[in-house]
Amino acid sequence: MNIPRKPTDIELTSHYLSGRRTRVYSILGLSILLVAVIALATSVGSVHIPLLTTFRILLDKLPLVDIAQTWQSAIATIILEVRLPRVILAGLVGAALATAGATYQGLFRNPLADPYLIGVAQGASLGAVVGFLLPVTWHSFGFGIIPLLAFTGAMVSTIAVYLLARTGKTLPVTTLILAGVALGALLGSIVSYLVISSGEKMHGIIFWMMGSFSLSQWSEVTIVLPYVAVGTAVIIVFARLLNVMQLDEEQAQQLGVNVERLKIILLAAATLITAASVSFVGTIGFVGIIIPHAVRLIWGADHRFLLPLSVLTGAIFMILADLVARIVMAPTEIPIGVITAICGAPFFLYLLRRRKKVIF
Amino acid sequence: MIELEMQNVSLGYNYQPVLEDITLRASPGQLVGIIGPNGSGKSTIIKALSRVISPISGKILLDRQDVVRIPRRELACLVGVVPQMPLLPSTFTAFEIVLMGRNPHLGLFQSEGPRDWSIAWEAMEKTATHLLASRRVNELSGGEIQCLLIARVLVQETKAILLDEPTANLDIGRQVEVLDLIKNLCTESNLTVLAALHDLNLAAQYCDRLLLINERRIHAEGTPTEVITDTNIKQVYGAENCVYTHPVNGLPTVLLSAKNNKPTGRQ
Repeated sequence: MNIPRKPTDIELTSHYLSGRRTRVYSILGLSILLVAVIALATSVGSVHIPLLTTFRILLDKLPLVDIAQTWQSAIATIILEVRLPRVILAGLVGAALATAGATYQGLFRNPLADPYLIGVAQGASLGAVVGFLLPVTWHSFGFGIIPLLAFTGAMVSTIAVYLLARTGKTLPVTTLILAGVALGALLGSIVSYLVISSGEKMHGIIFWMMGSFSLSQWSEVTIVLPYVAVGTAVIIVFARLLNVMQLDEEQAQQLGVNVERLKIILLAAATLITAASVSFVGTIGFVGIIIPHAVRLIWGADHRFLLPLSVLTGAIFMILADLVARIVMAPTEIPIGVITAICGAPFFLYLLRRRKKVIF
Repeated sequence: MIELEMQNVSLGYNYQPVLEDITLRASPGQLVGIIGPNGSGKSTIIKALSRVISPISGKILLDRQDVVRIPRRELACLVGVVPQMPLLPSTFTAFEIVLMGRNPHLGLFQSEGPRDWSIAWEAMEKTATHLLASRRVNELSGGEIQCLLIARVLVQETKAILLDEPTANLDIGRQVEVLDLIKNLCTESNLTVLAALHDLNLAAQYCDRLLLINERRIHAEGTPTEVITDTNIKQVYGAENCVYTHPVNGLPTVLLSAKNNKPTGRQ
C-alpha cells in the first residue's frame, strides 16, 4: 500500500502562515494605496492641482513636517477646506458601510445581509424626510436638523426591530431579519408617501436618499469619525469570536462564546457606525453588501483579516466612486449611489466568475 | 478530573418536558453511554450538560458546582462537546476548524500562537485528519468531519467530553478506531466521557456504564450486561429475543432477524 508521506509541523505552519503573511502584506499595501487615492482625489477637480503640489500641501499639514510654501494660499484652501473633508468623509463612510456589512453577514451567517437589513436605512430616510418637510430650519453644531433626525430615525427603528425580535433572553437571528424587513417595509411606504406629497422639495429628498458628499465639511468629519473609529475598533476586537460564530450558535456556545452578549455588542456597534454615516450622506447602497464579498473572494473568510481589509477596501472604493461622481458630468454631480452600483457591480461579477469557489 | 452530575433534572423545549426526573453521574476514567430510541432525549442531555439549554427543574452539577454559575468560557475549558453532524462553514479549512477549539483558552485580545498550532496539529495526527489540514470542510466526507470534530474537542483540552452519536457517519473500521481513541483518552488521561450512542453493540463493547432512556425517564441503568437484556430491549425497542452473548468477550450483543425469515436449517 502506498502510504502518503506525513507532512511535518513546519510544512503545515508554513502553509497556514504563508496565507496569513500574504494578508498582512495586503493590509499594508492597501493602506499605502489608500493614502495615494486620498491624494489623487484631492488633486482632481474643477481646478486642476498637480499631484505633487497636493502631496506637498498635505505633507505640510502633518505635525513635524515643514515644507517651503511654493503654492498660492487659495490652492491650499481648495485642497484643505473644500476637497479634503469631502474625501475623508467619503473614506469614513465607505469604511463604515463595508465593516457593518461584513459584520451583519458574519453575525447572521447570511450572504444577503447588508448594513440596512434591520431597518437602519428606512429609519434614517424617514427621519431625513421629516427633516426636509419641517417648516423650521434649525441649526446646531454647524449642521442642519436633517442629519440629527436621520440618526434618530435610524437608531429608533433598529431598537424597535431589536425589541420586536427579542424572545425571552435570546435574540433569534431569523426573527431579527424578518422583523427588520417587515418594519423596513412599513417605514419605507411611509417615506414613499411623504416623498410623493412633498411638492417642490422632492428633488432634494431623492438626491439625499441616493447619497451625496457634495456638502461635506470638517465639522461633519469630526462628528462621524469617533463613531466609525470606536465602532470599527470594537468589531475588529471581536473578530476571532465572529469566526467561531460561523459554526452555529450551539457550537459557538460550547466553544466558550457568550453568543447573546456578542450579538448585542456587534449589532450595536455596526448599527451605530451605519447610522452615523448615513445621517450625513444619505443611504448609499451596494457598498455594504459587495465590498465584504469582494474581500472574501480575494482574501478569504477569516474575520481577523476580512474586517480590516473591508475597512480599507471600502474607504478606497467610496473615495474613487465619489471622485467619479463629481468629475464625470461636472459641474453637475451624479448621486453616489448610482456610481457605486455602476462601477462596482461589473467588477464584482467579474470576481465572481473568475473564482468559482464557495465564498460563503 | 471532573464529575458530571444531574439531580432530578427535567429538560425540555418551551416548557414541554422531553425528559423528567433524570439523575445521573459520570466520573473520571469512566465511559458512560446513553442509549435509547430516536427522539428519546439523548442529545437533550448533552445540550443541558453543556448549558445550551437550561433545565426546567433540578440541578446540573460540575464537581458539585451548579453549571449555571460557571461562565461560558470557563465551562468550555472544562467540558467539550462533539456535536452530531453540524453544518460547518465551507469557507474555512479543516485546520482552521480544529484551531477554533483553542477559543476558550484565548483572551479577547489574544490570537492563536505556535503552541496552539502544534496542539491542533497533534490532535489532527491522533485522529488521522492531518492530511486534510489545508482542505476546505465542504470537500470532506461525513466521516472525515466527524473525526475533525473529535480533533477539535481534543484541542479544547477539557476534563470532560460529551459526544453526540460520534459513530453515526463512520464505516465499521472508523467506528472502532474512533471509539478506541475515546476509550484510551478516557482511561489514560482520566477524562469523564459521556456519549449518546445509537449502536447498542458498540455501546456494550465500549461503555463502562449505560443509561437506557425511554418515554422521558431512565428505563435502566448499570453495566452493559445489566442494561442490554431481552426484557429491556423488548420493552423499549419492541424487538424480541435478540440479545445474545458475544462469542469472544461475553458482552451482550444484539442480533436482529427479519420477521418472516424462517431459520434456514443446516442442523
